[in-house]
Amino acid sequence: MKDRENEGTLPGPAVFTAPHSRRLFLKGMGLAAGATAILPTVAVGQNADAETEEIPGLKILGRGEQKVTLKVNGASRTVAIEPRETLLNVLRTKLGLTGSKEVCDRGTCGCCTVLLDGASIVSCLMLAIDAVGHEVTTIEGVADDPKNAALIDAFCEHDAAQCGYCIPGIVVRSSALLDENPAPTAEEIRQGLSGNICRCGTYTKIFDAVGSVSKGGRT
Amino acid sequence: MPDNNVAIENALPRVDVRQKVVGSAKYAADQYRPNMVFAKFVRFPYGRGKAVSANVEKARRVPGVLEVDVRIDDYQEMPGGRIGHIVAESEAAIEDAIEALDLKFEHERPLTDANLEKQYNGPKPTGNHEAIRAKFKDAAVVVEALYQTQVQTHSCLEPHGSMVDHRGDEVEAWASTQDVTGYHDGLKGRVGNVPGSKVVVHSDYVGGGFGSKFGLRAEGSLAAQIATKYKRPCRVVLDRDEEHLDAGNRPGSIQYMQLAADKNGRILGGKVHCVSVVGFQRGGGGVNNPVGGLYKWGDIEKSEDEITLNFSIPRAFRAPGWPQGVFAVEGMMDELAAALGMDPVEFRQKNETSPRRARQLQTGAELVGWSERKPDGAWPGRVKRGYGVAGALWPKWPTPCEAECRIARDGTVEVRSGVQDIGTGTFTVVTDVACKALGLDRSLVSGLVGKSFYPPGPGSGGSVVSRSLVPAVREACANALKQMVAIVAAEWKVAAADVEYADGVFHSKSTGRKVPWKSVCGVMKDSVLVAHGKWERGWAGESDGSSDCVQFAVVDVDTETGIVRVRKIVAVHSAGEYVNRKTAENQICGGVTQGISYALFENRIQDRQTGAMVNADFLNYKIAGPVDIPDIVPVLDQDDSDTGVRSLGEPATVPTSGAIGNAIANALGVRVRSLPITPEKILAALEPKGASA
Repeated sequence: MKDRENEGTLPGPAVFTAPHSRRLFLKGMGLAAGATAILPTVAVGQNADAETEEIPGLKILGRGEQKVTLKVNGASRTVAIEPRETLLNVLRTKLGLTGSKEVCDRGTCGCCTVLLDGASIVSCLMLAIDAVGHEVTTIEGVADDPKNAALIDAFCEHDAAQCGYCIPGIVVRSSALLDENPAPTAEEIRQGLSGNICRCGTYTKIFDAVGSVSKGGRT
Repeated sequence: MPDNNVAIENALPRVDVRQKVVGSAKYAADQYRPNMVFAKFVRFPYGRGKAVSANVEKARRVPGVLEVDVRIDDYQEMPGGRIGHIVAESEAAIEDAIEALDLKFEHERPLTDANLEKQYNGPKPTGNHEAIRAKFKDAAVVVEALYQTQVQTHSCLEPHGSMVDHRGDEVEAWASTQDVTGYHDGLKGRVGNVPGSKVVVHSDYVGGGFGSKFGLRAEGSLAAQIATKYKRPCRVVLDRDEEHLDAGNRPGSIQYMQLAADKNGRILGGKVHCVSVVGFQRGGGGVNNPVGGLYKWGDIEKSEDEITLNFSIPRAFRAPGWPQGVFAVEGMMDELAAALGMDPVEFRQKNETSPRRARQLQTGAELVGWSERKPDGAWPGRVKRGYGVAGALWPKWPTPCEAECRIARDGTVEVRSGVQDIGTGTFTVVTDVACKALGLDRSLVSGLVGKSFYPPGPGSGGSVVSRSLVPAVREACANALKQMVAIVAAEWKVAAADVEYADGVFHSKSTGRKVPWKSVCGVMKDSVLVAHGKWERGWAGESDGSSDCVQFAVVDVDTETGIVRVRKIVAVHSAGEYVNRKTAENQICGGVTQGISYALFENRIQDRQTGAMVNADFLNYKIAGPVDIPDIVPVLDQDDSDTGVRSLGEPATVPTSGAIGNAIANALGVRVRSLPITPEKILAALEPKGASA
């Protein structure tokens, strides 16, 4: 945990600057998290019999499914996952939480945004196993949180959805943005949402929705 | 225009917005079932060549893998070419199987670039205007130019895909489709002996389509084949890479134009040569240039050609052929105006074919502050401001549509039609039109679309859905009301003509008796009263004519970095009667946003050696994001000639790139005639000027 504390933030912004290679990225994540697991190289697309990283103090799990307990939307959920599975994949396929969308699978669209200990991250760039010991909040949890009632209402009132596929991620990110900055300016809203894309082009309504909460108070 | 002023004030949010906002809306890609299998195509990654070896046996031995099929020596001519498939119990097992396959390829150098020097054989600007001047004796100016547009991919956020569940004697499918009726037609023949009536398709929520999600497609076909074979639910959903490679694109174009105008600013005509840049299968191109009906073009001689590259075939993309054509012709309009020394708006007014657009030019010019516009390149300082304008129209293609109104004894109403909502607000259109027709509010009325067993409706293409659906819904509701009136008349023993209905209350003209909606529903003989409505071209309720629009752009261009910031877009659109202000404005803002993205960012890039697409992701294939969005001012323009609902979705994206291109040229004093207008192209265009300064 020490390394992560030194970084100051959870891997929200950090994931965007991580090396593009998934292998390097996953290794980095394992170390940064000081996690209970390091991946066998097979998990990152290499031969199972090839070199296995030896890193002191880290226990090797896998291959094959491991039982882990994730804390998601306030509840503890025990699931069997492969160490290589992303948090997004586990949320969608094993926990039935399909509000987080898989769109680019490379951390560039924001559609899978969730909160990790309250800070927004893209769940396609985090291994589920690295989320063990942390609080994960998905759009389903964000929408249920009374703190976000005004934000959810504002998105609805402003008709801030066309096809709607990007919207859950944008709502989660907006919630985190308002935590970081309770009264963002129009420009700060644009910058704050810059990791999220909307193909239908609903942005202006999204800005209006977040802006109205910013001005009108969150609850 | 009886309904317009009421409807335009309807600004309720779309009926399904909350499900989308809180993440409970289930799209096809969200359908997971116990016992479900996953299938995925094996694809050739390069532009031209074939797979020469694959370790199929090893792939089949991967735990969880059910089926591996790979075609060796099957020559491919596009990156993403399908050479087989894998079926497995999990996506992870598919990943392992692909790795175990250890595919080896042979590939040749492909055609990847619509190279002006090597592949374009059409006319180029030469400065020789003798022929055109001989033809048009009154020509005061002649302008010729070559415009180019890039290839754009649809980039729907929900990937193309289906989940098909074959249960032996019935089939249920969840499809990301923009034509639920057409998808059902395609699926029903591919599921063994199950009759069409036992095949149900759901597309309740669709994460974007933009023209690329018609028909069963390869993804639906594979899901049907595997589900039928294993009698298990099968999910086939493309990943982002596959989306860029094999899920549609807007073809590129090269457009040569040579036009003449007389000294009064009247266009006389000229020559147009359009080349579509398409995939190896040829076809799917077509550039709408000159845009018929947009201006009085005079006598135009047009020729067309194609350049084929090693890539997949284009698919319809929001106004197929239009944005590329309008970008070029609106650029030429400004070039002609400049040659004549005329203001671009004034020059358009002189050649305008539509009184509606003539008015929109005026409205838009006032709203955008056109009087602030300076002569080309005259804005002082490093960051230069420019103003530009472009127009468009959209023809009508009315399409047969059916709807059904179902009234229950508790007073609730369902109005159903086999159309779909791909983000366009179709649920809302049905609901709000039915509310108005029945004099009820949303608490009693549900508009329902997106099921194959609803009465058939058109696919979401050509912006036909609302204009075809609205009269069908009105007809169904009117027929239902007739039945309700008959119930009341029988009860009161008066003639049906004596019973009037308005705002939830039936009343007898002769006796003055009144009875509310719900009380009548409560005494219905049947548990559900069903009335049908149908509409076809030429029937009552047909909306009048084409849709017209004009968009104005304001841009700031940094002449040292070449970076363009779009500051404002004023989008004035006439689409007849509006059903809901919010959804209509959202359509316009969305079209404008996609237009900005097309004008400045999006561009498919292929590696010249291998033909692989180098930006088949969202990191390097840039789509307009939050920081790129200007102040967008949608204007719902109406007049007395507006009857019925016209088209809105497609025209909204047509003029934006032309308006931005013109605004940039106004800012700089030099013109970039090639999309996307990147900083690199701007700096290159400025260079000769800078060098001489």
